[in-house]
Amino acid sequence: MVREITYLEAVREAMTQEMERDPKVFLIGEDVGLYGGAFQVSYGMLEKFGPERIVDTPITELGIAGAATGAALVGMRPIAEIMFMDFTTLASEQLVNQAAKLRFMFGGRATDPMVLRTPAGSGTGAAEHHSQSFENWFVHVPGLKVVMPTTPYDVKGLLIESIRDDNPVVFIEHKLLYKSKGPVPEEMYTIPLGKADVKRAGRDLTIVATGVMVQRSLAAADQLAQEGIDIEIVDPRTLRPLDTETIIASVKKTGKVLIVHEAVKTGGFGGELAAVIAESEAFGYLEAPILRLAGKEVPIPYNRNLEYHAVPQVENIIEKARELAQLKV
Amino acid sequence: MAIEVIMPKVDMDQETGTVVEWCKNPGEQVKTGEIILVIETDKVAVDVESPGTGILEGVSAKPGEVIPIGTVIAYLLAEGEALPQGAAPTPKVESSLPTPPQEISTGQVVTPVAKNMAAAHGIDLNAIAPSGKGQKITKADVAAQLAKESAPVVAGKIYAAPAARRVARENQVDLAALQGSGPQGRIQSNDVFASLEQQDHQTQLQVVAPIVEPEIIPLIGMRRTIAERMTANYQNVPHIKFTSRVIMSGITEARNTLNAVAEKSGAQKISVTALLVKQIATTLRRHPYLNSSLKGDEILLHQDINIGVAVALENGLIVPVVKNADKKGLAEIAAEVNDLAARARAGKLVNADVKGGTFTISNLGPFGIEQFDAIINAPEAAILAIGATQLEAIPDESGQIVARPIMRMTLSADHRIVDGAVAARFVAELKTVLENPILMVY
Repeated sequence: MVREITYLEAVREAMTQEMERDPKVFLIGEDVGLYGGAFQVSYGMLEKFGPERIVDTPITELGIAGAATGAALVGMRPIAEIMFMDFTTLASEQLVNQAAKLRFMFGGRATDPMVLRTPAGSGTGAAEHHSQSFENWFVHVPGLKVVMPTTPYDVKGLLIESIRDDNPVVFIEHKLLYKSKGPVPEEMYTIPLGKADVKRAGRDLTIVATGVMVQRSLAAADQLAQEGIDIEIVDPRTLRPLDTETIIASVKKTGKVLIVHEAVKTGGFGGELAAVIAESEAFGYLEAPILRLAGKEVPIPYNRNLEYHAVPQVENIIEKARELAQLKV
Repeated sequence: MAIEVIMPKVDMDQETGTVVEWCKNPGEQVKTGEIILVIETDKVAVDVESPGTGILEGVSAKPGEVIPIGTVIAYLLAEGEALPQGAAPTPKVESSLPTPPQEISTGQVVTPVAKNMAAAHGIDLNAIAPSGKGQKITKADVAAQLAKESAPVVAGKIYAAPAARRVARENQVDLAALQGSGPQGRIQSNDVFASLEQQDHQTQLQVVAPIVEPEIIPLIGMRRTIAERMTANYQNVPHIKFTSRVIMSGITEARNTLNAVAEKSGAQKISVTALLVKQIATTLRRHPYLNSSLKGDEILLHQDINIGVAVALENGLIVPVVKNADKKGLAEIAAEVNDLAARARAGKLVNADVKGGTFTISNLGPFGIEQFDAIINAPEAAILAIGATQLEAIPDESGQIVARPIMRMTLSADHRIVDGAVAARFVAELKTVLENPILMVY
C-alpha cells in the first residue's frame, strides 16, 4: 500500500529529495523561505537547508528569473518560484529572450538547467491578477519545456525530472490541486518529459485535458459511464514536447475528441492540440468535428459566481461530451 | 351549413384512429345516428354514427389511413351546398417548405432569445417541442430544430465525416450514393459500413436466390399496440415463472356433472375456461399480491377481481375481462366468457369489455401446447398460461403407474411486487383447488 500525500507535499518532497541528492539545486523566490511559500509549498525547507539554498527575494520576478538563468548558466540547478503565474509576464524577458535562447546561441556548449515553478488557474476567488493560465505563451517558445502535472504522483516524478533536465522548464502547478491527495512512493523516481498518460481508458470519445480539467473530466466521465458513454481521458502532462503519439492513437480508437482546458479558448493550447490531430493520420478516423471546451473570452472575474462560469466545470464537460458521443455535432 | 365529420376520440388515451371502412358512399344521403364508417383504435373497432343529416361529401380518409383525432375526414352537405371554401379536408401533412415565422397559437411560452432566433431563421415555433422548465421553448430547442431543418447542401459536394471518407476510399464505396445518419445528414463511417454489409448481403442473395420483395404490412392499430405493450412489458417487468402439474380428474368429473344439469335445463354448457376463471378468482381472494399493480411508489391491492381471458383473433389478440369473477356464479361466468369471446372474434367488443383487468389467463390447450409461459399484461401483476390436458402416466398414492388427465400451468409474476414464495403459495393452492373442485365453495 503506497502512502498518500497531497500534491503540494509531493512538490516539497521532490525539491527536498533533489536538494539532498544534488548540492547544486537551490530554491529562489518571493516568500519561499521564512513564510514557507504563498501556498506553503516550501514550508520547513528554510530550516532544513538554510538561507543560502532557500533564497527569499524582493518583489522582483524579473530578478528571480534573471538570477536563476545566470546561476544555471554557470553550473547550478536553480528552482525559481513565481508566486502566481500572472507574474510570469514580468519574468518573461529573462525566460523567453535569454534562458530559452542560450543553448542555441552557444551552439550547444552552454546549457541553462533551470526550473521556473508557478501556480496557475482560477477557482480561489483571487480575481483578475492571480488566476490566469498562460501556459500557451511559453509553449510557443522553442528552447523552453512546459510541464503541467495533475496528480501528486505525476508532480513528484515530473519535478525531479525537470530539475535534472538541461533545458529551462516552465513547471505549472494548479492551485486547486495543491490539496488533492494521492499515492506517492517515498523513494525518488522520475517521469520522462513528453510522455502523456491515459488517465482513463474508454471507447466512445477521447477527452484531452490539462491541469485541473483532468480531474473534472474524470468526474464527468464517471457520470457519463452511468449513461453508457465510455470516455478515454488523455493527460498530456507535458505540453512541450508533446506526446502526439498517445493522443493520435486514442483519437484513432474513438473517432471523437473533446479538448478541455482552463485557459481562454482563443489562442489556447487546444488549438495546437486540434491542429496536431487534424494533421495526423487520426484525421481519417474522425467521426465528428474536433471540439474545444475552454475558458471564456474574459479576464477571470472576482465575483465567485462569474468566476465559476468563466471556466469549464464538470457539468459543462458532461454536456459537451454527451453531445459529441451521441453524434449531435 | 356543412357539418364536419371528424375522427372521433373514443378512448381516454387515444391519439389517432384508423379508418377501417366507409359504410356510406360519397353522394349518399345519411341521417343522424346512422353508421357512416367504422374506425379502429389500438384496442377496439368502433362504429361511427353520423353527426347529422345530409349528403356525404369530401371524404378525405381512405381505409387503412391513420388519422389524428379531431381531424375533419368528411362533410355532410345540404342539397345543392358546396364544400366549404378553403377548408377542403386534408389529412395533416408535414410541409417541407420553410414557413415564415409565426406567432405561436397554443399559448406556448417562448423565451425572448428563442423567439428572436426563430424569427431570424424563419422557424415555425409551432413545430417545436418545448424542453425547458415549465414547458418553455428555449434557445436550445430552436437550435435543435434549426439543425434538423438545415442540411448543409453544397452542389457537387458530399457532407461526410473524415472517417467515412477514409472507409469509403479503402473499400471503393461511392459516398454520393449514401444517406448520412449523422447531424444534418452527415455521412458517418457506420453508414459506409452498413452499405458494405448490404452489398455483401445482396451479393449473397443474388447467388442463392433471386430477390423476392417481402410483403409489407404496416404496423398500425392493434398490431402496433401489441408490439409496443409486449416490448414494454417484457423489458420493464422482471418476470418470475412457476410451473405446476395439475391432475384434472376432479374438474372433468365436476364439469360432467354440471353439464348434465345444464343439458336438462337447456342452459349453456360450462367450459373449462369458465371453471378456471371461477377457481382462479376464488383463490386470488386469499392472495392479494397476485391481484395487484405497481404504480409509481405504490402497490395497489385491487379489491375487485377481474379476470382477463386472452382471445386469439385472426390478426392479433385481445383480452376481454370478466368483472368480479369471484362473486359470480359458474353459469353466469360461462355465459359471459362465451359472449365476450364471440364478440371479440366478430370485432364487436366495446371499450368497457377490455378495461379493468386485474389478472389474465391465456389458454393454449386447444392448440395442444403442453406448457408455455406468457408475458405479463401490465399493470397486472401476473398471468397464468394454461396448457393442454392430456392423459399421462403418473404414479398414484400407492406407487402404481396410472393414466391421469394432466394439465400444466405456468404463472408469470411481476417479481418486483410478488416474491417467489408468495407466487409459489398461490400456485400450490390453485393446484389444490383445481384438483379438488369442491374447495371452490369452501
